[in-house]
Amino acid sequence: MSLTSRFRNRAGLALLGATLLAGSASWAATAWAAGADETPVKGGTLIYLEQQAHTNLYPPAGGFYPNGGILNQITDKLTYQNPQTLEIEPWIAESWTVNADATEYTFKIRKGITFSDGTPLDAAAVAKNYDTFGRGNKELKLPISEVINNYDRSEVIDPYTVKFYFKKPSPGFLQGTSVIGSGLVSPATLALPYEALGDATKIIGSGPFVVASETLGRELTLKARADYNWGPAKLSHQGRAYLDGIKYIVTPEDSVRIGALLAGQADVIRQIQAYDEKQVEDEGYLIYAPSTRGVNNSVVFRPDNPLVADVRVRRALLHATNTDEIVSTLFSTRYPKATSIIAKTALGYVDLSSKLTHDLEKAKALLDEAGWRVGASGLRQKNGQTLELSAYESLPQPQNKETLQLVAQQWGKVGVKLNVLTADSGSATVNNLDPVKAPVSPAMVGRADPDVIKSQYYPTNRNVLLQKGGNSDKVQSFVDDKLNGLLEKLASEPDRTKRLAIAGDVQSYVIDQAYAIPIFEEPQAFAAAPYVKGVSFEAVGRPSFYNTWLAPRR
Amino acid sequence: MSRYVIGRIGQALVVLWAAFTVSFILLQALPGDAILIKFLNPELGLGPEQIADIRASYAADTPLWSQYLHTIANFLTGRFGYSVQAGVPVSALLLANLPPTLWLATFGFLLAVILAISISFVSVLLPLPRLRAFFHSIPSLFISTPVFWLGILLIQVFSFQLKLIPVISPGPWEVLVLPVLTLAVPISAPLAQVLMRNIDHVLTEPFVAVARAKGASHGWVVWKHVAKNAVLPTLTIGGILFGELLAGAVVTEAVFGLNGIGSLTQHAVSSQDIAVLQALVVFSAAAFVLINLTVDLLYPIFDPRLRIQKGAVA
Repeated sequence: MSLTSRFRNRAGLALLGATLLAGSASWAATAWAAGADETPVKGGTLIYLEQQAHTNLYPPAGGFYPNGGILNQITDKLTYQNPQTLEIEPWIAESWTVNADATEYTFKIRKGITFSDGTPLDAAAVAKNYDTFGRGNKELKLPISEVINNYDRSEVIDPYTVKFYFKKPSPGFLQGTSVIGSGLVSPATLALPYEALGDATKIIGSGPFVVASETLGRELTLKARADYNWGPAKLSHQGRAYLDGIKYIVTPEDSVRIGALLAGQADVIRQIQAYDEKQVEDEGYLIYAPSTRGVNNSVVFRPDNPLVADVRVRRALLHATNTDEIVSTLFSTRYPKATSIIAKTALGYVDLSSKLTHDLEKAKALLDEAGWRVGASGLRQKNGQTLELSAYESLPQPQNKETLQLVAQQWGKVGVKLNVLTADSGSATVNNLDPVKAPVSPAMVGRADPDVIKSQYYPTNRNVLLQKGGNSDKVQSFVDDKLNGLLEKLASEPDRTKRLAIAGDVQSYVIDQAYAIPIFEEPQAFAAAPYVKGVSFEAVGRPSFYNTWLAPRR
Repeated sequence: MSRYVIGRIGQALVVLWAAFTVSFILLQALPGDAILIKFLNPELGLGPEQIADIRASYAADTPLWSQYLHTIANFLTGRFGYSVQAGVPVSALLLANLPPTLWLATFGFLLAVILAISISFVSVLLPLPRLRAFFHSIPSLFISTPVFWLGILLIQVFSFQLKLIPVISPGPWEVLVLPVLTLAVPISAPLAQVLMRNIDHVLTEPFVAVARAKGASHGWVVWKHVAKNAVLPTLTIGGILFGELLAGAVVTEAVFGLNGIGSLTQHAVSSQDIAVLQALVVFSAAAFVLINLTVDLLYPIFDPRLRIQKGAVA
């Protein structure tokens, strides 16, 4: 099954001088094609403005965008996922073999690679990395990577051959070796406790850039590694990075980031809101909005809370939600309306738009049927209880507070109240894990493999529905064994066709149970100056600056 | 004299202890803590057992009174503990963040004083009543200017439009210009208001009338006779304004993306990093006490009458 990215990319378009390009051409193809007729210039430091400071650079924590944006430059991965075709290609591993039931993976490691501290990147180092990511390390508080399922052990066959064994089939593992969360780091880094890995200078990778200095929470400087010569084999660019360095500056204020870019004080900025896109484009700057290709930006329910335990109530709220209105009011064409719990560009996607209709009458009927009647206050009541729910906004998601407020207005039309709570204090994190305090929650996660659905819903992973047995000790009893069974099968079915069929079953099940209301397919929005060439993104939208160069400014 | 100083120091210590204890109780009463907030992050995928292990390794579940005694003993010996969020000692964070805020606050306060004095005296010395009224209204405008808005406005105008000062990677002095201005404007307002009222008050005093009767010009009277007397009560409010200065620094540092005590406070609050917050509260209380003590001791220098009284007390 071949997947093509369907979203439109203005960046590539502007480079080509076209006005609009829709269809199957992905950003990568357009950006690189455009760069091909110009000769890359070596040198220069890229100024990158980041909205939030990184939290921890233990590679499996790379899911958080500020972390991933740094890790992607300083670490290499065993394999490379072509962002255009989503095929897995060689990188640090020259070749690999997988047994029939996906329980044994053997990788041949490319020779002559070193970490920036001089340690060789060989089979032993790779084994050490995966033993840590796959099993975690309690003593050092290093958690298990969410992209590695059913891991058992490693075996170093010879200095450049390593074999991994799994307790159960782990078909997602090969793709798992290509993601930022599987960035390879020096054994010296893996010997440090989790809390020491917030310090970027401690993260020793083999990537095209090396951390030169850091001001905690403010600034991070990377410099290019002169002897780097092991980029993904199929890339046309080989050898060291074009840039001399990258300077990350944390600039939380949206207006300051955009103003600084337009005033020529910065080259690339992350996180630009839909309402600012026009201003940036009018000035001739480029917007890149690569898809995160994972679980869509959604609102999920915590059925442990009796108010949303009844599937009819959840289904009613699903039909009361008008996603078209949300997308057209708050976002732009770069934020396609969701038609399943995962993006159209995600592996295993099935179109469920017929189940996701906006239908107020149906919503009202379902609530009536569930025994919730409109009371004197205009709100639905049952046995003296009012149908009043709360949700904490998620700061990293684009305009999440506004999205939730619009959802609250829409639910208000069927007599359900949703309180949108700000997440400006630390206690919000804790409260959001309590189904009583947060029966509703925003959620999304990106990864270009069907395992991403398990990551999102499985109790010992992100556990967005708050099932018992996961990260929350406030849950009384809610467990959905059927869902968990499906998720386990999804993560362990070695046959690709069967696995994608299971992915379809999970999507239908989640929507039938109305556990989630998918809203839009979330892109990561970046803006860059026109002279920044060769900007590329890995499969889920984190930037890679290996191929980036700065053309002379006009 | 010595009893007066000892009394003041004793009071200062009680204030510090109270600040420590109240903040300790309040911080403990909040739901959740830094360890939970950091490790409950769903992206880490830790289970309840792993989190319990981590909490045990931080001794987060020992009884409150023992934590209290432990913390106060550590504070007395100069150990402020570890920041859970940053993974470094709190004292290192304080040391790294203190100098930038100190520069910002010092220059901000100096500029505020200059602004306040200029506005006040110009508003008295100007010949035209309409102009005087205009200058009289400036402090009200300044006091109602949100620091946040002013910071963004200054950046937009001076950095993005006129391109005079970069906000991204500025030089060592450039970095201070706009933040200092942002901080100084709202701080200057209450200073100017008090100063203006004092000037108006002193101008009605009999000795001013005497000076005028001797033929002194308006300007001479204001400079020679009024200024010194009017400055005194302004000093007191200057001490109190330190709190405003710190609050202003939080916002200013956030807008300009600067390192400092303000941004440290902001991060510590959002991640509920109790050890850092505890140290910041005690540090701020200590600074507050110290500044007000200094103001008290400065009084006699400006007012000879206090010097005589002071002698009488001692």
